[in-house]
Amino acid sequence: MKRKIIRVGSSRGILIPREVTRAMGWEFGTITDLEVDEEKNQLTLETAEVDIPDELEKDQLKQFEELAKQHKKLLEALDD
Amino acid sequence: MTDDQKKELKLLAYAHWNISKTLDTENGIRDIEVLKGVVSMPGGGSLTCLLGEKLANKKDLYSQLGWFIYYTLEGEPFNSKNKALILLVLAWVLDHYNLQYELEEISEYIENLDTMRQGNADISSWFSEHIQ
Repeated sequence: MKRKIIRVGSSRGILIPREVTRAMGWEFGTITDLEVDEEKNQLTLETAEVDIPDELEKDQLKQFEELAKQHKKLLEALDD
Repeated sequence: MTDDQKKELKLLAYAHWNISKTLDTENGIRDIEVLKGVVSMPGGGSLTCLLGEKLANKKDLYSQLGWFIYYTLEGEPFNSKNKALILLVLAWVLDHYNLQYELEEISEYIENLDTMRQGNADISSWFSEHIQ
């Protein structure tokens, strides 16, 4: 997809088409990660990872993630 | 709030976010005060079983679970899937305690729980009768 660099005040910007923001689930205020690969002359824009509070046990969070996948059907079947 | 309560609140928020991501349902806390109530037991206590504490007495464990289930169901702290959150947390806690349980049976119980007729003590009793 070709996009032209435009002036935004004294900076340069690129407008992101609505179909892209929809596909990515991005709203105003969504935090993204912008990564530049100078060797490949390439730019990657992706949804930023959620920050996990330091005091939480990573193993426990991983177990929650696995259990959610394992019991997806049961969880889905429960009402709100 | 105590440090434990804050930690438990963050843990529940993470577990709920995980469910939303897995099931593609609405994320977010509906009422933070209700969520604070869920993790704050009488006398300044908290849901220490959520943080991995191995309570020596099963009665204490079921008492915490009864509290957690009752106030989550009654107050619905999250925007969606509060019952699913309960089930996910129970699966983790019961696994952590190496207890024998049927998740389908628990799911059916949660689905049909009526907080107008059953309080946290009733829920604790159900667990003591159905979990080995």
